[in-house]
Parts: sequence; C-alpha cells; structure tokens
Amino acid sequence: MLTASRLTRRFGDRVALEDVSFTLERGEIFALLGPNGAGKTTTLRILAGLIAPSSGSVDIDGQRMGPQSAPQLRARIGFLTEAPGLWDRLTVRDNLLVYARMYALPSPGRAVDEALERFEIADRGGDRAAQLSKGLKQRVALARSLLHDPRIAMLDEPTSGLDPASARDVRDVILSLRAQGRTILLCTHNLAEVERVADRVAVLSRRLVALGTPASLRQKLFAPRVRIELTHAAEPFAAALRGAGLSDVRADGTVMSVGMASTSLTTPDVVRRLVEAGAGVESVVPEEPPLEDVYLKLLQPEDEAS
Amino acid sequence: MNRVLALLGKEILDLRQNLAIFLPAMIVTVVAILIPVFVAVIVPAVTGERLSDSGDLEIALEMYKKDPSMRSLDPEAAIQAYVFQYFLVMLILGPITSAMSVAASSVISEKQARTLEPLLVTPITTLELLGAKLLGALLPALVLSVISVVLYLMVVVLTAHAGVFSVLLGARTLGVVFVLGPLAAMVALQLAVCVSSRVNDARTAQQLGVFVILPIPALLLGQIFGGIDLTIPLMLWMSLGLLLVNAVLMWFAIRLFDRETILTRWK
Repeated sequence: MLTASRLTRRFGDRVALEDVSFTLERGEIFALLGPNGAGKTTTLRILAGLIAPSSGSVDIDGQRMGPQSAPQLRARIGFLTEAPGLWDRLTVRDNLLVYARMYALPSPGRAVDEALERFEIADRGGDRAAQLSKGLKQRVALARSLLHDPRIAMLDEPTSGLDPASARDVRDVILSLRAQGRTILLCTHNLAEVERVADRVAVLSRRLVALGTPASLRQKLFAPRVRIELTHAAEPFAAALRGAGLSDVRADGTVMSVGMASTSLTTPDVVRRLVEAGAGVESVVPEEPPLEDVYLKLLQPEDEAS
Repeated sequence: MNRVLALLGKEILDLRQNLAIFLPAMIVTVVAILIPVFVAVIVPAVTGERLSDSGDLEIALEMYKKDPSMRSLDPEAAIQAYVFQYFLVMLILGPITSAMSVAASSVISEKQARTLEPLLVTPITTLELLGAKLLGALLPALVLSVISVVLYLMVVVLTAHAGVFSVLLGARTLGVVFVLGPLAAMVALQLAVCVSSRVNDARTAQQLGVFVILPIPALLLGQIFGGIDLTIPLMLWMSLGLLLVNAVLMWFAIRLFDRETILTRWK
C-alpha cells in the first residue's frame, strides 16, 4: 500500500534521516518509535508528500510521490499533526467545514455532522475552538484528519496530553480504523499504547534501527524466559533446577524466572522436574519484557549493549 | 478554485470574529477624509479668510485655470476642488493599513497556532494557498476603498461649494481609488506576507509598511509644493511601477509559500 525506499533527507549539512526503507500493509497499525530528533516527523512529512526526500522514494498504491502526483496522493492520506492546529476564533463545526470543502466532499455539512457524531463532539460543534480543552481539541483534530475517509492515517502523537479515558477513546478509533481496512502509521513516544495496538514497530534513530512485530523484536533481543509461581519459597527448587543443568534461574520469594536460551529442556520438562522435586506449581507463563525494555535496548549505544 | 473559496471563506469568518483588526485602517481613513475638510472648509469658515484670497494657494488657481472642468467654478470652489482632489491620495492609506494588518496577522497567527501544517496536508497547491491568503487581505481593503471614496464624496457634497463634487467625479478619482489604491494595497500585503513568514510578531511586519505608506504623503506634498500634477499618464506610469513591484513580491511569496519552505524554513 505504501512503500518507503531508501529515504534520506539532509537539511544543509545535517542528516535527519538516512537510508530508511519499510512498507505499510493494508489494514495494519505500524508504529514509528524513536527518541526526539530521530527523524520521525521528517519521515511522516516525506511520506505525506509535504517535503521531498534528498534521495529515495515513496510509492502509494504503486504511484510514485512527486510534485505532480502529491496533491492527488495526499487526498488519500489523513494526517494528524502533533499540535491540533485549530483556528481558535472559528467554531468546531466551521473548522471541520473548511476542511470538508477543501477535500471537495460531496456533502460537506453532512460529512461534518457525521464526524461530530462519530467523535462524540456534536454538542460542542457551535463552540469556538479556543474554548475547548486540550483533549477535545485533539479529538477535533482527529476528526478533521479522518473527515475525508482516508485510506492511510498518519497520526503524530495522537494521545499526547489526553486523559486516560480520552486516550482510550482515541485508541478505540485507531482500532476501528484498522477493522475497516485502513492503514495506520502511528508516531508516538507512548510505548504502552504501541504495545496495545501496533502490529509492527519500526525504531528509528536517524537510521532504521529495527523493524518487526513487538514479539519478534523481543525474541531478537531478549532470551526466552519462563515465569513460574510456586506455592512455597522458590529458592530451594531453583537450586534443584541449577543442579539439573539450567544455568540461568532466578528466585524471588515464591516466583522463579528461568532462562530457556541455553538449554535443550522445554517448559514442560522444567515444570515436570519442579513437580518431581516436590514443588507446588501455581502458574507458568512466558516472561515478556515490556516494549520499553526492547526500545531502550535497541537504542543503547553498541558498546553499552555488549 | 473550490479550495481557494473554502480557505477564503475561513479567512472572512476569522476576520468577522476579529473586527478590531480594522480599527487602525478606519482611523486612518477618517483622518484622511477629515484633513481636506478641515483645510478647505472648516479653517476658512472659522477664520473668515477665503482660500482664494490666500497667496499660498495661487498655484492652485493657476493650475485650475488651465483645467477645462474647472472653468465653470468660482475661485473659492476651484481651490476647494484642488484641495479635495490632491488629498484624495491619502485615501489609499486606509486600504494599505487594512491590507497590511490583515495579511500580517493572518500569517503570523497561523504560525503561532500551528494551523498551517494540517492545511498543507490537504491537496491545496501553493498558488491556491497564497491566493486565498492574498484575497483574504485584499478584499477587505477593496471594500474599505469603496466605503472611503463614497464617504469622501458625501463629505464633499455636504461641505464643499457646489460644483466641486462633479469635478471630483472623474477618471483621476477613479484611477486613484480603484487602480493606484488596490495596487499599493497589494504591494503592502505581499510585503507583509513575505516579512511575516520570517518573523513571529505582526508589529514587525507592519512596521515595514512604512516603506509603502511613506510615498503616499510624499506624493501629496509633491502635489502641493512641488508642482506634481497627478495626471492620467503619470498615474499609468505609477501603476506600471506598482505592478512590477507586485510581480517581484509575488515571485518571492510563491517561493516562501512552498510547502517545504513553510515547514522547514519559516521561523
């Protein structure tokens, strides 16, 4: 649906983005992560045809983004900018109506009414944008970016500054867009949000550091571990496992964490040995490091990482 | 065209919510209308000294003796016509002030509220964006031009000698108000737009308007003291000059309103 090929962007001597390639598939939520200044906004702007890459290309539905094709391709994109960017002196309705006309929607008034209903802001349609809270402004901005029913939604920090309930509403909207087959490119610092919604993640630090599903990144960076909760203190049983050749076993109270990378034993084997040693096993779950750990490890300088 | 109209509609809605922006232009217009009334009507009435008796204004009498349209007027009416005719150029100041205030405020408030980036994501082209911005500032200036000339002529009818009004209803008045005025306003607003893209304070942009405003009083003084006669050929030359300046400013403005420039170079 969208292919970014070897994107590089320089601003004078400064390289903001270097040799970044990825594709966005239909109906997926793709999260772009990275520290401040990593080139996320530059990437979004290039993908939306707002700025041109110094080298590389962007194709949407097989059509190359360029000066001639950009206006037409931009009509397929909904772009939520980091700041809501509403005209403060205009009402919410008028803010949306201007955009409905800009996109030449067949019934601008009806499209606006539907958007107001969909984002539960119909009762605020007559209010000036300046009177809205930050969360409501963000909601109006989201409504505006999706007004023309775009096939690709590029959302820059969509839940920034929102209270938990509003953030959940926005996440629900994002998930409903995916359910409708829309492609969503999410640019955020909120790793918990990415964890909840993203199908694939790209970590950017000027270059593309990693790309994959959250699970595949975890697998790549962290050895598999199993978390076993026992009925009694875990330490004596940890010693038993170490005796059986498992070198990476940690015990903390009644919980045991077993590294499975350097053993031929499977999880059922480990559980059987514990039971044979007289342990009462309450639960066994794969231990997944949070995405934050994955992210921080990916962005660690190489010497630190080793 | 739809996108220009959509954005122009937004500009007008925004201005309706911010009418105070026109206050400086309205004050300038009122002053520009009242000064000639003061000079040609109020001062002679208060002092009891006829303008035609004053040696300072002999040049006006001489000039108007040569003007066929003035021959039917008595000397006092001829001098009044001279004053009202020459002060007409001051009416250009109102539209210039309006155009500069609106253009500078429009661009700078968009920058401060970060409302341009969402706009740039739409299929709008650079020319459409710039066109809507320029029209949004030019249209109120044109409306002000019409209002100010109508008021000016009404004041002439109400206060000046009979016959002065008909002298003013000529090509020169129309040229000043509907050609020179809009062209000067266009220069002012394009200058404001260009400067506003580089600064974050509307006042800085407006201060540069002095370069557009100063030539107007200079022209007035040139008419009164320097014997410059604002003839139709002179107005055509001035219009041509303003057109050239407008073309150069437009060239800059188109470059400044390029998406990439707005996103990466505007301060």
